[in-house]
Formats: sequence, C-alpha cells, structure tokens
Amino acid sequence: MALKEIYTEYQRPILGLASVAGLLLAWELVLTYLIPVNPFFFTKPSLIATAFREQVLGGRLSHDLIISSRAFLWGFSCAIAVGIPVGVLMGWRRRAEYTLDPFLTALYASPLIALAPLIIVVFGVGLVAKSVLVFLLAVFPFIFNAFAGVRSTDRLLINVVRSFGGKERDLYFKVILPSTLPYLIAGSRIALGRGLVGVIVGEFFAASEGIGFAIARFGDTYQLPEMFAGISVLMIIAVVVTEGMRKLEAVLAPWRVGQEAR
Amino acid sequence: MRDRNLSLRVQSGPRKPGACNFSKTCYLRAMASYIQAQNLALTFRPKNRDPVTALQGLDLEVGKGEFLSLVGPSGCGKSTFLNVLLGLLKPDGGDIRLDGKKITGPGQERAMVFQEFGLLPWRTVLANVELGLELKGVPASMRHQRSSELIKLVGLNGFEHHYPHELSGGMKQRVGLARALATDPDVLLMDEPFAALDAQTRDLMQLELLQIWDRAKKTVLFVTHSIEEAAYLSDRVIVLTARPGRTKSVIKINLPRPRDYEMRLTADFNDIKATIWNTLKEELIARTGYGA
Repeated sequence: MALKEIYTEYQRPILGLASVAGLLLAWELVLTYLIPVNPFFFTKPSLIATAFREQVLGGRLSHDLIISSRAFLWGFSCAIAVGIPVGVLMGWRRRAEYTLDPFLTALYASPLIALAPLIIVVFGVGLVAKSVLVFLLAVFPFIFNAFAGVRSTDRLLINVVRSFGGKERDLYFKVILPSTLPYLIAGSRIALGRGLVGVIVGEFFAASEGIGFAIARFGDTYQLPEMFAGISVLMIIAVVVTEGMRKLEAVLAPWRVGQEAR
Repeated sequence: MRDRNLSLRVQSGPRKPGACNFSKTCYLRAMASYIQAQNLALTFRPKNRDPVTALQGLDLEVGKGEFLSLVGPSGCGKSTFLNVLLGLLKPDGGDIRLDGKKITGPGQERAMVFQEFGLLPWRTVLANVELGLELKGVPASMRHQRSSELIKLVGLNGFEHHYPHELSGGMKQRVGLARALATDPDVLLMDEPFAALDAQTRDLMQLELLQIWDRAKKTVLFVTHSIEEAAYLSDRVIVLTARPGRTKSVIKINLPRPRDYEMRLTADFNDIKATIWNTLKEELIARTGYGA
C-alpha cells in the first residue's frame, strides 16, 4: 500500500529513470553477450562511463564546457533580448508584422546552419562566431512564439485594462506579456535545442576547444567511448535545463498549474 | 449581513435619506439628466463583410443615482451602447455626455462589470480587484486596504489569494463587481453581468447588487435579456428596437424599495413584466419574423 502511494506520487521520475536505465542495460547486455562488435566501431555504456570519468578527473571536460557554454549563454541571452520584443511588436503592430514577416519566414524555414562557414569567415574562429550562430538559431522560436502568444491575447482583457484607464504600456505589461509567457516558455525549449546545435556545429567547423570540438576530434580519431561521453554530457545538460524550465514555468505562471486536461 | 439579504421581507424597512421614495425631490433627481445620449449612431465595418449598423438615432437620458435597465432583442446594440458610454467605442454620429462633459474615452468615473467576467487569470482575487486602483496610481498599501474591504463587501473574504480558475462563476462575478467598485466610480455599467450564472446564484447576486446600490448611491446602467431581472432591479426600463437600436419605450417601475424576492410574486410585479414583454414582443417579431 505504502509502496503504491510512493509510486503514484513519483510516477513521473520513476517511469522516466526506469526507461533510461532499461535502455542502457539492454545496450550493454546486447553488445557484451549477443553481438560482440569490435569496440573500434561501436561502444557500450560501461566503456563510455570509464571515458567520462577520466575526462571529468582530467579537467578537460569542465574546460570544454566552460568554453562552449560561454558562447551559448551569450547567443541565447541575445536571442531572448531581441526575439521577445520583436515578436511582441509583430503581434501587436500589424505594420511590423507585414514588414518583417517575409524575412523571418524565409530565415526560419531555411537551414541556417548552412551560414556557419560564412559566419566564421566574417567573425573569425572563437567566441563571437559561435555566439552569433547560437543567436541566429535560437532567436526565431522566441520571435514566433512571442508573436503567437500576443495574437492569442484575449481581446476582452485588453478592453478591461483599457476601460480602467490603462495606457499602451499597461496593455503590454499587464495583459500581453503575462498571456504570452506560456508561449515563451514553450519557445525557449525549442530555442534551447537549436542553440545547442549552433554551438556544436560552430565548434565542428572551426575551433580548438569546446565540447563540440572535443566530440569532433574524438570522432575523427575513432575514440568512440570518449566521443559518446561528450555526447552524453550534452544530453544531460539539455535534460537538466528543460526540467529547470518546467520548474521556472511553475514559478512564473502559477495560475496555469492544475489546468492540465488529463 | 448576508442573512439579512436573504430573508424574505414583504415589509419595506426604514428608508435612508436620499433613497428613492417617489417624493418630489426624488422625481427631480431622476429627471436631471446625468448621462445624455443624443442621436447616437455607430456602424461596424468589418473587413470583407457587410457593415452592421448597431445604433442609429439613439436618444437616452439617465438621472444621477438611477438604476436603469436596457432590454431589447439580441444584437440591438445594447452592449455597443455600454461600450460607447464606457469610452471604448467611438460613435460615428451624435453626442454622448456625462454630467455635461462629452465622453471621449475611458474615465475613472465609469466602471464596467463584464458578462464574461474579464478577470486576469494570472492575478489573484486581490490583485484583480486592485487593477483599477493600480492604473490610477494609488499607493500599494491603500490599494490593499481598499480592495480587502471590497472583497469583504462581496463576501469573498478568505479567497484573496486564489486565482480565478479556482473560483465558481458566481465568485468570479463577485470579483468583477468588487473590481468595478474599487475605484469608486459614479457610474456602474453592467453588461449582462449575471447571464453566465446559475439561477440561484443569480437571485443572490441580484439581491446583493440592490443592497450595494442602495448604500453606494451609484448610477447603474444594466443590460439584460431577462425581463424579470430588469423589472426587479430598475427604476426605469428602456426597451430598445431591433437593430439598429433606438429607444422604443421607457417603462417606469413604480415598485417600493428596498425590494426583495417576495415582491417578485406580486400581481403588480407581473403586470410590469407583462408591459415590458408586450413592448418587447413587437421588436422580437420584427427581428425574427416569428409570431407575426
């Protein structure tokens, strides 16, 4: 009975962890007993874990992480700072929408990553080029989601604030932004994934340090466990940050908690 | 206080000074036109659709402190008129004045109670009630105090920190009423405020509204589809024509105040309802073609 209660309470983490653990175990067992593949071509969790440990202890990993996250944070912050105002403006001002729409649609739909070589030529190898790449990839989800959020703002609430003497500024801060917030959080999840792609690809093309560079180098030299260690670090970061955003949503948008349909 | 509201009294209680008792002074008070609409016209011109003339040649006068209801067929421009009075819509023609001054936009002396409540979902009950005071620039401590008083007045104490989605329809509209009263407006505009509520909650809210009105001495413009509600609450009922809306007839409700639920069972009350219905019926036929 007590066990069942614990299960009901923590169903989400229990099922989530169990499925990950199950997959890792199956991977390990299959490669150890069923198909003994040459470790030169493919690797398994136990070897990855060893490589991971060595990288952490050697200090190489934290150095790479700091290099990469610096570029990510710069690009991502700029994406927030530019994307939200532009999206809100487009949602609220028709002229802004019609003017900017063709560029944004074209840029959002095309594989921006193709611009990476150009950006590296223009900004050189290093922090700036990578930040620009992150920015370019991450800014569009913010713009489009801010836009969608503003468009979905309840007309009645606008009228309510207006009727109590609210000015344009009040409409933005008391109605439009709060009702756009859930869209922005959803957008930031997409932006996060795209931003990570930006850093890694930037480092693939031209870099001498950083997590993307490390992955590329280990891959080129067939050091598969080390390469996978780098990939897992990226995955863990992505999961942790996404979970953090979920928590952030609960703090920033408490009125939405408990409104889930199922 | 709530118990007193709910008791079914036939006998009217002692009158407060200023309450309408059909004396000469009261008659004069009602006649001095506080709100005056003249030849008001408004046409909506939606994109890719035919224009809709919501109001045309609407004349209307409301006395200070009067409780006036507007009834009329659906789409006759009742809500449009309230929105013009609120200052959210600009009329195409004619003139609308409050206390002699032309209405050009929203103002602190008017507040609306919306049919669909219009509460900000990200604000607690307290913060929703504070909205008008906040926009007026009232300091936080005074806002809290005033809002808490009003939350008590509408019987929501204990729910200050709840979010709207945690409230029932009746409670939401109490918040809407408290929010409108918070800035202490002279004119309260109510756009079918109780239409979304169940019948019993509605009866209760009507009684409470009468109490608050009697105490606070607001001018109330009340739009409703319910003849019964209009007759029960109002000093006068204005029947509007089918679209475009004009005043078809003005019916004075000569029933004593304070009014209570039992009064709705009297023959006088039913006569008034019949009068309103007969006036309205012609317009309904004009609009729908049924019963012709």
